Amino acid sequence: MAIPWRHCWRWTIGATSTSVLETICGFNGRSATFAASSFRGTGAGTGSGKEGLSSRPVDTTSIGNYILTSRHKSRLLYPTPKPCCSKGIHSDAKLKDPFSLAQKDLNHLYDDIKKELFVSKSELKSLCDYYFDGKGKAFRPMIVVLMARACNIHSNRDGDLLPGQRSIAMISEMIHTASLVHDDVIDGSNKRRGMTTINEVWGERKAILAGDFILSAASMALARIGNNTVVSVLSQVIEDLVRGEFMQLGSKENESERFKHYLEKTFKKTASLIANSCKAVSILVNSDPEVQEIAFQYGRNVGIAFQLVDDVLDFTACASQLGKPSATDLKLGLATGPVLFACQQFPELHAMIMRRFSTTGDVDRAWQYVLESDGVDQTNYLAQSYCREAIRQISLLRPSPERDALIRLTEMVLTRDK
Amino acid sequence: MTVIWFRLKCIGLLNRGQRNISIFSNATPSNLNKVVSDAEKIVGYPTSFMSLRCLLSDELSNVAMHVRKLVGTKHPLLSTARGFIYDSRKNLQMRGLVVLLMSKAAGPSQHTASDLLPQDMVSGIYPSQRNLAEITELIHTAFLVHRGIVNLKEWTNSDGPLKDMQFGNKMAVLSGDFLLANACTGLAQLNNTKVVELISSAIGDLVQGIYHEIPNRLEDNSLTDEINMVTWEEQTFLSHGALLAKSCQAAMELAKHDKDAQGLAYKYGKHLSLGHKLNSDLQLFVKSSSADPVTFSFNSAPVAFHRQIVGQERWCHQLQQAKTIGRQMDYTKLRSTIKLEKGVTSTIDLCRYHGNKALESIQCFPSSEARSALENIARAVTKF
Repeated sequence: MAIPWRHCWRWTIGATSTSVLETICGFNGRSATFAASSFRGTGAGTGSGKEGLSSRPVDTTSIGNYILTSRHKSRLLYPTPKPCCSKGIHSDAKLKDPFSLAQKDLNHLYDDIKKELFVSKSELKSLCDYYFDGKGKAFRPMIVVLMARACNIHSNRDGDLLPGQRSIAMISEMIHTASLVHDDVIDGSNKRRGMTTINEVWGERKAILAGDFILSAASMALARIGNNTVVSVLSQVIEDLVRGEFMQLGSKENESERFKHYLEKTFKKTASLIANSCKAVSILVNSDPEVQEIAFQYGRNVGIAFQLVDDVLDFTACASQLGKPSATDLKLGLATGPVLFACQQFPELHAMIMRRFSTTGDVDRAWQYVLESDGVDQTNYLAQSYCREAIRQISLLRPSPERDALIRLTEMVLTRDK
Repeated sequence: MTVIWFRLKCIGLLNRGQRNISIFSNATPSNLNKVVSDAEKIVGYPTSFMSLRCLLSDELSNVAMHVRKLVGTKHPLLSTARGFIYDSRKNLQMRGLVVLLMSKAAGPSQHTASDLLPQDMVSGIYPSQRNLAEITELIHTAFLVHRGIVNLKEWTNSDGPLKDMQFGNKMAVLSGDFLLANACTGLAQLNNTKVVELISSAIGDLVQGIYHEIPNRLEDNSLTDEINMVTWEEQTFLSHGALLAKSCQAAMELAKHDKDAQGLAYKYGKHLSLGHKLNSDLQLFVKSSSADPVTFSFNSAPVAFHRQIVGQERWCHQLQQAKTIGRQMDYTKLRSTIKLEKGVTSTIDLCRYHGNKALESIQCFPSSEARSALENIARAVTKF
């Protein structure tokens, strides 16, 4: 079991493992501060994993086991960051539940979004409204409103949302939905959230148009906020989403480049929206670039963690829970976190990755390899690290129920099962 | 740069057997071509190279490589790509040119703002206005590409392998999205939220207009829908007029010209687009060149007028009469039938009406080279 641990460090750290050990040994109620640089888009460094470990005269066994056992348990139960972070970092004022805190702001969110989708032709209207039925998780708007309130409080105002901030919550959900509609056409999916996809019901041409319309409505709402910086920040998201999709078209030859490519793609496709929405709401209330950076970094780290867990769930959850079938990524030819980690133990996966699992039997074999390896564990562990960083960032803001809810939210990201 | 042009040209040269949805069926009269190329000199550079920056991006050269795999298939993206770069005569980036000419015709701004300095003007046009012209073309192209997506459920064996259609769709969605994303970031850089709102609403209009074009039945032309010229104009404005109208207005806003100027620019854009669409719909009915195979949409203006004039019953009857023994539509025969009634002349009248409206609007601007060019374009659109 020691081997996978070493592998894990090799992937996650640009620094040597000695400093990591120091951190582990030294954290008594300090938040585990992994070098922030290791998460700024760099993937696999080929760290001097093995040598560092053996040369360091520290009793790693007990700590190692502690972490290992919790990770071992986590194989089935999805790890909470308990041993690694929460103890003593923040006072345990009751951590409020993010959903209930955000509730009043999100109450009419979907109805308001539908009002923005002002279109005369009734069929197009039903397509655009299709996913705004209130059954989605509303995860992104929730983060946005909580971040807005936390920033407002930090900036010496009362917590209430500025109108522009609420718009941003709506806009982020609209941009997200528009991209989903297009993704379903690109991937040829016929199910989403337990519903038949728009392209399956009405055809690809209308689906694409519906996505374009939602995007244009989001853009109009964005313009109406009246802030040029906010418009730039969120337009960047639209570009990142497309570039992320393009990144998925290509595969990288080099193993170490692959992970970096994967993390960058994950940022563009998932985290950019959350990070930039958080940044946008902070811009509206606070001109201090440090505050804006905190908001951005929280969003970025949570976003990446969210996607990593999503990638894990693709392997571990069964079809009925997700509302869509699993091993989807493999079937689409995509090599995500668990596969990339599993490559270490099963080099056969390299060739499969390069041919995008196109040969008959590749998908099943790869799936087996992943489940036999510790790819899932390692990905979960990586997700935890990103969450820790998110917590570190958000803790720099003035305390508030919303800030604590955002901290609590990172746990929820890690423990969700759908 | 030459490598990419060459690569894409190869696609055009090698292409065979494309699906007969020619996105570039907008035939244009040669005098309009001449007027446009004269006008290009006024604005400083040939507009056919607009969006070059975008075309040269990694993503699109990536797409170009993938689109090569579509050669020999029937996916419409191939003809879009081909039309886009192969034949510059047909590739009129007219919208962008009109926006540039309008900007120049309106003259310098009355306001003193840091981004509206006289020394920044090139050939009498502010950089932001040039960027807007480019964005307009980006949006137009994005929707040309998105129009070329096929419904997989309508696929038949004669279309070739299904996976080619799937692949072509994927490329079309991605490249259209890429162009739109670039348009969005370009809009953001204009630092004018009114313009962002205006152009975003134009995108919404475009979507609604194109949505109407999609037939609800498997047959390409709906036989039994009533047509109404008022609705026809409204829908055609959405799909063919809104973008140019609102871009012209936006160009005025960028230079902080007043509401009147914005209104006039909008009107010109609107009426010119409608006139141009009517003109291109008419080409098949006023020229008797046997070169092009005759096929036309039942929603094109002369046919739509004709249907309204003769009524549903007679129309259905005429359709029956025009079918060959093999139950195929004989379009040449149908065209002759249509030419016997007043559909064509009504369309010509409507075209002239819009051309004149466009002229009226632009003549409110001070006299200039750019204004004359816009007048010439409006006149060329109404000539047959």
